[in-house]
Amino acid sequence: MTDNAPVLVVEGLSVRRGEQLAVEQVSFQLARETDTALVGPNGAGKSSLVAALLGLLPRAAGSVRILGHALGPAGELPRSVRAQIAYLPQSLALQGRFPLTVGEFVGFGFDPPGLSLAWLGNSRRCNAVQRALERTGCQDLAERRLSELSGGQLKRVLLAFCVVRPRQLLVLDEAQAGLDAPSSEQFQELLLDLRRQEGWTVLQVSHDLEMVRRSCDQVLCLNRRLRCSGAPDHALSAARLAELYGPNVVPYRHNHAGIAGHG
Amino acid sequence: MPGLLAMADAAGLLEIVGQPFMQRALLGGLLTGALGGLLGSFAVLRQLSFFSDALGHSALLGISLGILLGVNPTLVLIPFAVVFALLVNQLVARSGLPADALLNIVYSTSLAFAVVALSLVETYRGGIQQLLFGDILGISWSDLVVIGLLLLGALVYLALSLRSQVLLTLNSDLAGAFGVGANRHRLIFIVLLAVVVAVSIKAVGVLLISAFVVIPACGGRLVSRHFPLYALASATLGGGCALLGLLGSGLTNLPSGPCVVIVQFAGFLVALLVSQLSPRSGVLASAIAVASRSKPSGAREAG
Repeated sequence: MTDNAPVLVVEGLSVRRGEQLAVEQVSFQLARETDTALVGPNGAGKSSLVAALLGLLPRAAGSVRILGHALGPAGELPRSVRAQIAYLPQSLALQGRFPLTVGEFVGFGFDPPGLSLAWLGNSRRCNAVQRALERTGCQDLAERRLSELSGGQLKRVLLAFCVVRPRQLLVLDEAQAGLDAPSSEQFQELLLDLRRQEGWTVLQVSHDLEMVRRSCDQVLCLNRRLRCSGAPDHALSAARLAELYGPNVVPYRHNHAGIAGHG
Repeated sequence: MPGLLAMADAAGLLEIVGQPFMQRALLGGLLTGALGGLLGSFAVLRQLSFFSDALGHSALLGISLGILLGVNPTLVLIPFAVVFALLVNQLVARSGLPADALLNIVYSTSLAFAVVALSLVETYRGGIQQLLFGDILGISWSDLVVIGLLLLGALVYLALSLRSQVLLTLNSDLAGAFGVGANRHRLIFIVLLAVVVAVSIKAVGVLLISAFVVIPACGGRLVSRHFPLYALASATLGGGCALLGLLGSGLTNLPSGPCVVIVQFAGFLVALLVSQLSPRSGVLASAIAVASRSKPSGAREAG
């Protein structure tokens, strides 16, 4: 694979949820070291698309290539390619007193996928965890239980999980959901810094259109089918948004750093 | 065991411990308790504690079938438990109904069939009491070998898949994106838990088996922040309480299985107390937090 080759190539992808197609005939590419937002109304198929890209949902049609390797029908990818992908979910199922510290969790991201003794002490892993925690401002949280963290802290720890080892593709599924405006802003700044330092190619599902406008290089507007795509100014024009979300949707800007919504 | 009851007093404890059947029982209790605690530490986190309870009750059907067919019930129990686990797994995956409701259906029905089957057996010498509460004093060397091998297998599998199990518990998509085979690990774990429950039932009985899985794990969770320590604490609590419970049973002439469970509960209460006195959590932590808030210059951690 050449340096300029796209990190992700999706062609004619359709995904079924139950009896219906949640995603239909979607094609796009992610160029190396770009930040792409996937936007669309609730039920547009964003999460289904992401799940299919990661090999978590079967494809009804189409193909997906990640770093030049075709994703198999049941989500098969070479381990070396899988190791280049990081996924940041909306939330974790943290029951009370979950017996796992932040340091342990971040350390789980260090070893490549597969069976391993990833919980045993190892100086390389410990150093990598320490550095990942410092880079994400979580150095004081290493001994805290995951279940004791605030929402903002947990998101930073998830980023530390991604940054503990070099990776190329980062997929975020509404990672800022549940954060207040300042925390969301801080998270986005941290993500931007890390993306530049790490050379990540980012695909993020988001409802924060103002953040998308400011931070992303490319926007994919999805409502079962890909309705439009391109640079934010083009894809998020009033006319395009009305087409995507309906005629009553008006983007607005807050006076502070800026959160978009519709109403 | 009327002979045992007669012997069991404090002065005779050493003599009892010297008996081969008691040595086997103590070793069996240690291994079964540790196995239950180890598996339980994962099962509780993955919200499978009710599964072990349901499997325990359903196992009565397996035992009944063994008796009806004239086959050693222990030999029937393991395949029965594995089939039960696979059946429930398929039912949960295909029906879309909540797992606890499905488990309830399956185990109630199994129990009903078991009672009907047992009523057809005119002379069952094993005694229903032993089925319900176990007979750890009747454990044989071959049983011990099976339990020991199972403990070894569980240790190896869980040590190697610990990260996968934890990631699956936290978020199945996160685990899947990381390359963890969710279905494969769920199936292996459920089958392992089923076999452990089946093997332990002879010692613990169908009614108390879930205690062996759930109580030590909950106790371990109260006192552990790190996952490997949590699994170790749960296994130690399970094995240690089983030993103490059996010795207590010998001293007091009380039934062994219930004695072990009562000691496990006492261990849980001690863990609860320890967790409340921990400077990092519980009552003491709250007191420290209040005290630090009352200081004008006290720094607080921002969220």
